[in-house]
Amino acid sequence: MTGLKTLLRIPWHLLLLAGVLVLVGSLALYSASQGSWQPWAGRHAIRATIGMALVVGIAFVDFGFIRRMSYVFLATAILVLLAVMIIGTGQGVSRWISIGGVNFQPSEPTKIAVILALARYFGSQSHDRMHSFIWYLPAFVIIGIPFALIMKQPDLGTALMLLFGGLAVVFSAGLPWRYVLGSIAAVLAAVPLLWLQLHAYQKARVMTFFNPESDLLGAGYQITQSKIALGSGGVFGKGFLMGSQSQLNYLPEKQTDFVFTMIGEEFGFAGNIFILLIYLLLTIAILRISYRVKSRFAQLTCVGIGMMVFFYMFVNVAMVTGLLPVVGAPLPLISYGGTSMLTVFIGFGIVASAIVHDRRERTL
Amino acid sequence: MSRNKTKDLRRTMSRRGLLLGGGAVVLTSILGARLFQLQVAENNRYRRLSDRNQFDLRIVAPTRGRLFDREMRLLAGNAESFQLYITPLYVDDLQQTLAALGQIVDLTQKQIDEVFAAARKGPSFHDIIVRDDLSQRELARLAVRSPLLSGVSFGKSLRRIYPQGSLACHVTGYVSPITAREIVRNQALEKTPHLGTGKNGIELAHEQNLRGIPGRERIEVNAKGQPIRVLRDVGAISGKDLQLSIDVGLQLHSAEILRRGQLKPVEMGSADVQRALAKDDDLKAHIVLGDSLILRDEKDRLVPPESGAVVVMDIYSGEIISLVSAPMFDPNLFTGRLLTRDWRRLNAHPRKPLLNRVTAGQYAPGSTFKMVVGLAALETGVISSKTQFNCSGDMQLGNARFHCWRDEGHGVMNIISALEQSCDVFFYEVALKTGIRKIKNMAHRLGLGEVTGLGLPGEKQGIIPSHEWKLANLGKVWTPGETVVSSIGQGYVLATPLQLAVMTARIANGKHAVTPSLVKSPGDTPPAFAPLDVDPGALSIIRQGMFEVMKGGLGTARKYDLEASFGGMAGKTGTVQVKRITKAQREEGIVSNIDRPWAERDHALFVAYAPVKQPRYAISVVVEHGGSGSSTAAPVARDILTKLMQEQG
Repeated sequence: MTGLKTLLRIPWHLLLLAGVLVLVGSLALYSASQGSWQPWAGRHAIRATIGMALVVGIAFVDFGFIRRMSYVFLATAILVLLAVMIIGTGQGVSRWISIGGVNFQPSEPTKIAVILALARYFGSQSHDRMHSFIWYLPAFVIIGIPFALIMKQPDLGTALMLLFGGLAVVFSAGLPWRYVLGSIAAVLAAVPLLWLQLHAYQKARVMTFFNPESDLLGAGYQITQSKIALGSGGVFGKGFLMGSQSQLNYLPEKQTDFVFTMIGEEFGFAGNIFILLIYLLLTIAILRISYRVKSRFAQLTCVGIGMMVFFYMFVNVAMVTGLLPVVGAPLPLISYGGTSMLTVFIGFGIVASAIVHDRRERTL
Repeated sequence: MSRNKTKDLRRTMSRRGLLLGGGAVVLTSILGARLFQLQVAENNRYRRLSDRNQFDLRIVAPTRGRLFDREMRLLAGNAESFQLYITPLYVDDLQQTLAALGQIVDLTQKQIDEVFAAARKGPSFHDIIVRDDLSQRELARLAVRSPLLSGVSFGKSLRRIYPQGSLACHVTGYVSPITAREIVRNQALEKTPHLGTGKNGIELAHEQNLRGIPGRERIEVNAKGQPIRVLRDVGAISGKDLQLSIDVGLQLHSAEILRRGQLKPVEMGSADVQRALAKDDDLKAHIVLGDSLILRDEKDRLVPPESGAVVVMDIYSGEIISLVSAPMFDPNLFTGRLLTRDWRRLNAHPRKPLLNRVTAGQYAPGSTFKMVVGLAALETGVISSKTQFNCSGDMQLGNARFHCWRDEGHGVMNIISALEQSCDVFFYEVALKTGIRKIKNMAHRLGLGEVTGLGLPGEKQGIIPSHEWKLANLGKVWTPGETVVSSIGQGYVLATPLQLAVMTARIANGKHAVTPSLVKSPGDTPPAFAPLDVDPGALSIIRQGMFEVMKGGLGTARKYDLEASFGGMAGKTGTVQVKRITKAQREEGIVSNIDRPWAERDHALFVAYAPVKQPRYAISVVVEHGGSGSSTAAPVARDILTKLMQEQG
């Protein structure tokens, strides 16, 4: 395949939508630092530029290679997560490893590795097997091990997104409805067990989620302030750089997890809906690609990545609007954070590679 | 794998993909709906919360108007004071923060307890005053370390100070923190709890003008309560300064003379004085009041300073030049945090230092009331200057016998000699002929029996009794005997020292019904008063009688006349029996005032005006339980007027 043909087949509309989100993100980060490109907005824009180049680069990578490497990716990811557990030095929290002075959060790309591994696994199973529960068990191992490791870090937000993204792939692969419903029942049954696994502060967060007013200045503080910032934004917001809540530091982590709140305060309901629509378009665009690609591996990969991006957004927005407990989840491409952005762009790169190199697998 | 089955799988996948896409749309719609709820439907509520977050609305206290004396000497001013605040909203751990503060400034356990109590009661965004009057040292330490303590701030405020101490306490009154009852009456006060309001005297009477109008200031604060910038809405408007008619110099002199009287100051340091103080509660109480004056009476006993009242008034303008009520108190005690202990002592003190005796002390006027009886009789023609009565020492009326103060009697008296020697029997006769109604009428025209209009809060109106008054208040019919008793200012008659001064001023003025005021009138034009409307001839006869009190060979106050170079004075003594001397006491021979318990001794009164030829000032003196008006009260008036005349040059 020629370079020009490859370039033409790259899904540029994904990059255009991603570009819009990056632009929104840069403006928000510019505002978060009270009108300065330092320390976040400038680096955010530069990282995004690198990320988009990465998408184009990955588009040139043979999709078959990605498929062949998928289990290796997952194994590597698991090893790195284990390494984080061992060498992580944070007080009770070990999410990052430092490589040459750059902090890196291995749980982020793990989500891609899990999706690829699941897609490969289900892509290579025959239809007959898909009716039997036993053939789904490896999928739960593929999801379960990284999920457990990330929960242990602990990073509830990332673990949940990994779970949702993985389950989306399993669901698309054709998991019989009885298993779908059965799993939902099982998850509900597992809630008490899960509860015991949570750290005290996580429990506190969940508890205050149900009654935020009980602890206005403690665990409920963030969500209360977030709702005030959003709510006071109104329809059109207080204006760029005019968000009093965020500008005056009422809003914690406004450059990462609560960036949506800040946008909501300054650009209002209109701004927030605009962002939701961009994400929805992005998700649907990737799901549409999953229709067009021919191999099951490619289809499942695209569904997984599309839903991963969606869940990223959903968990974050539901959290800052008080619909979900505060779990710590960034808003993809808008929140400041290199690893998260890298993960999304790698995902887009894989989608691009899938569509560029699409061909029906000859095996099977 | 068959083509069919592959197709099945693809179809399943497509369906599932569609479901996921649809699910994404649904979930996004839920988020959209949630955003609509927060940002559109509940916008107003959150906007309010945001404003409260962002802005700390503070009331900027206005500078309270100052009080000056007639020479523009400061009576009440404002001193910068630094206060330490804590805002519970921004404090993580109150206990810990207070402990940390305790390392920086002096904090008592009581102050800490009060902060906790206030934090429990009030809204968390209200400032609580932790400490008042921070020292420079504490300020320096706070400036360095308070930025590390979230929710701790300190600010400048103005504290009321009375640089003259207790000297003008009953004129100025005092300012003290706003009470809960005041907040109920005036909701606006709630926002300035650290501001005081006038509780008495001029501070209360002119509260509206002195207070000024508070400003509003919106301080933008961040989540830690640290101010980012100040957005001023409305600047405070300072209260108006007020120049009073009081002369601090004369005030000081009046207070000293009144309280010292005929007594001699003692050396406080000596051992026997200290021993005596330890034993005597009444003496000790005076020390506690900050009034370290202890005196020796003529029998060489240690006694507290005299209590009583002095008021000096300009008979043309009505301006009060001096107003002293003793004992006094230090109004500075109230401006900070008044100690309950001090408050209790002031309230429970037997001599009632908080009482303004000039306006709220009601005394039987005694013989000073004789001018009223005389004027009423002269004006109505009941007597003339030539009318005579014989005083044999008592008068029989029905079954009752009314004594003159002089047992052996005064002999034949006319109005002038009766005033000069303060003969009681003459006035008994005159009063019976005149009737209580006309006496009452004259009393009112001279300013007795009604509030003078000075404007100090709590002024009493005294009592000028009559048939109607007795029927209304006691449900009984007036008897002639009561007219007799009233004629010498006893019985039901009560007047304040201020009213007696007004009465004297009107007699001296002769034309205008002057009313007293404490505010210096601008310029030299005296305010317009209603005409006095008392027969000038009658007035001049009374004034002649008052002149003879000082000048006459038998004048009751002849020893205490004002020096001739100052123009002399005309006056009238009064001695008011507080407790009847019992027969047993008489038989024991205890008739001297000084041998009786203090609270049973007679009140000494004296009223006067000076100079005689061209009257300018009226004075009234009450020395509580001071003995006779002539020997105790008259010299006080003489000394004060002497000082006043010296200053006039």
